[in-house]
Amino acid sequence: MIPDEIASTIISPWAYSDGKKVDDAFTWLRREMPLEQAQPEGFDPFWVVTRHADILEVERQNDLFHNGDRSAVLTTIEADKQVRAMMGGSPHLVRSLVQMDNPDHFNYRKLTQGAFLPQNLKALEARIREIARAAVNRMAEMGGRCDFARDVAFLYPLHVVMEVIGVPESDEPRMLKLTQELFGSQDPDLNRSGAEVTDAKAGVDTVQSVVLDFMTYFNAMTDDRRANPRSDLASIIANGKINGEPLGYLEAMSYYIIAATAGHDTTSSTTAGAFWALAENPEQFRKVKENPALIAGLIEESIRWVTPVKHFMRTATADAELAGKKIAKGDWLMLSYPSGNRDEAVFKDPFKFDVTRSPNKHVAFGYGAHICLGQHLARMEMRVLWEELFARLESFELDGEPKSMVANFVCGPKAVPVRYKMN
Amino acid sequence: MSGEPFKVWQCRTCGYIYDEAAGDPVEGLAPGTRWSEIPADWICPMCGTPKADFDMIEL
Repeated sequence: MIPDEIASTIISPWAYSDGKKVDDAFTWLRREMPLEQAQPEGFDPFWVVTRHADILEVERQNDLFHNGDRSAVLTTIEADKQVRAMMGGSPHLVRSLVQMDNPDHFNYRKLTQGAFLPQNLKALEARIREIARAAVNRMAEMGGRCDFARDVAFLYPLHVVMEVIGVPESDEPRMLKLTQELFGSQDPDLNRSGAEVTDAKAGVDTVQSVVLDFMTYFNAMTDDRRANPRSDLASIIANGKINGEPLGYLEAMSYYIIAATAGHDTTSSTTAGAFWALAENPEQFRKVKENPALIAGLIEESIRWVTPVKHFMRTATADAELAGKKIAKGDWLMLSYPSGNRDEAVFKDPFKFDVTRSPNKHVAFGYGAHICLGQHLARMEMRVLWEELFARLESFELDGEPKSMVANFVCGPKAVPVRYKMN
Repeated sequence: MSGEPFKVWQCRTCGYIYDEAAGDPVEGLAPGTRWSEIPADWICPMCGTPKADFDMIEL
C-alpha cells in the first residue's frame, strides 16, 4: 500500500497547484512503487498507474479496463454515494465519451469523429488564423504587460471552439465561467461558492448546479438546431442518430458539455503553460523564434509539460495481471498522466523543457480508443497562434509570480503575468 | 511497384496519417516505405490501433 503521505499528495488539488509537490511524489512512486494501491482517507482503494508503459497497456485494452463501470474521475466514497443517489444508481453526473464503453463509445464517437480529422480541419485554418491574429493584436494593444493566461490563453481557444460548436460570441464569457466553475470546483478563486470545498455533498451539489446550467443552455440549442440545422457541431449532435434513434437526452447534453469545456480549457492550459515555460527558458524561445519549424516541437513539449488532464480512472472488468501485479475484477485504477509524461524510462531529462525533444511520445491525449478526439484541432490552434504571435513578439519575461489552478482533474495555469515587446 | 504513386493511410481511431512518400522516420519508417512493407503487427504510433484498422485516403 502506498504510504499515506504520498497517497494524500497525489490526490491533493493544492499539490497540483504547487506542481513540485506532486512531481516529487510521482518521482518517488515511479522509483519505489510504480504500480501499487492507495487508499487516502475517504476514498475506496485504487491502483496508481505511474509508468508510461503501464498507462499505455491499460488504455490499449479498453475492453479489460472500462471507463464507465465506476466513476471515470477520482471521487470520494461520500461524493460517489451522492452522485449515485441523484442519478438512479449511475456513478456519473454526465455521460459523455469519457464515461462510455463499447458499443456506445464507438457509436457516439463516430458521430463527430470525421469533423475532427486533420484533412477536414484544414477548412477551418483560415478562420482560426483570423481569430489568432485578433488575439495577437489585442495583446499588442495592451501596452507591453498582460496576464497571458487571462488575456490570451483562456480566450483564444474558447473563441475557436465556440465557433466550431455554434455558440454565439456573446455567450462566450458565460461558457468560460461555467467551464472554470466545473474544472475549478475545488479552487476558491474559480468555483461558484468562492470558498474552499470541504464537504462532499456541497461539492457534488455545486458541480451538479453547473452541469444543470450547461444543460439548460444546450437544451435550447438542441431545439434550435433541430428546427434550423447549420454546419456546426451543435447541429451534428442535435440531429445525430445512434442505431437509427436520436441521442439520449443525457448523452446529447454530455456531448455538448465535454466539447464546451474540455474542448478549450485543455488547450488554454497548455498555451498558458507553454508561455510560462518559455519565459523561464528564454533560450528555448530564441530557438523557436529563429527557427519556426520548431513550433511543432514546442507544441508537443508543451502538451507533455502541462499535461492538463491529470488523471482518468478505469475499472477492471476481469482479473488481470499488470506489471507483475494481480489486478482483481472490479478494481479501480488511476492513470496518472503527469507521471507517465515524466517517466525517466521514456523521457531523457523529463523535468527539462526542451522544444527539440524527439521522439516525444507523451500520453497527455491518452492512448487507445479513448484518445482525445480534439487533439488535431488543439495542435492546429496552438500552431497558428504561435506562428502569428512569434512573428511579432521580440522578447518577454515574467512580470510576477504565475499561479496554477487548485484542482486534481483538469487544470493548468490560472495567471501568467508577463512584460513583453512586440513589433 | 516503385512506379506506383505513393498512397496515404489513416488510423480510424485517432486520425494519424501515414504518408508513404514521407514515411515516419521517428518510428523507423524511411521516406518511401510502402504500406505493404510495414509488418502486419505494426500498430498506430499515436494510439495503438492495429494496422488492419487503417483506411487508404486521398488528401
